[in-house]
Amino acid sequence: MSMFRSKKLDIGCFTNIKIIRDHSKRKAFEAAEPERQALRYVIRNTTLPARTRAIAQLQLTQMHCYTRPTQIRNRCVLGGKARGVLRAFKMTRYNFRMEALAGNLPGVKKASW
Amino acid sequence: MSVPRARLLALMKAQCDVFSTTYNPEGIRTGNKILRQRLKGPSLAAYYPKKMLKFRDFQEEFGQLELLIEDDAEIARLEHVAALKARGKGAPKKKSGPPDPTAGKKRK
Repeated sequence: MSMFRSKKLDIGCFTNIKIIRDHSKRKAFEAAEPERQALRYVIRNTTLPARTRAIAQLQLTQMHCYTRPTQIRNRCVLGGKARGVLRAFKMTRYNFRMEALAGNLPGVKKASW
Repeated sequence: MSVPRARLLALMKAQCDVFSTTYNPEGIRTGNKILRQRLKGPSLAAYYPKKMLKFRDFQEEFGQLELLIEDDAEIARLEHVAALKARGKGAPKKKSGPPDPTAGKKRK
């Protein structure tokens, strides 16, 4: 959603619309996280009246989908791909192989046994 | 050897006092585990690398001090463009105004 997008590009990696969208979702989640956690606390607190908890449930489900952590997906910073991304290197397996063979990743070495 | 429940509860109470946690012998769900969680937002939002500082940003930042700041790559590019233009190989001029409506139609 364009209202979550920053007016000026603020990321320095490979950029396409999917990466920009994912970055917007990350920032939206960061901004809404305290509110989400407060609502989750109210929902899980069994000592509160049932009505309060039900209202909190409704409020949480009615928050914008960009503020949900499950919308966030790790993407490759070199190509934007979403599948086969190695979490430690933020890269797809192919890009990881190319970078590792080129010696751009400190401490990564080809092994065979 | 069994220990009476009252004594166990007293122990639990003392434990809670010492470690300043909530005394909850019935195990009621108070949702405190949500409050104990750390906020994940900052680390998630820092996934993609930040934008690098460009030469233009540097110029804008320090240009007002009237220092001599030259971008060698930009000067080289402008020279290249000027050389192309001198040979008549430059980029064509931009159109001004809307396109001619009859231009795209086929003539019979």
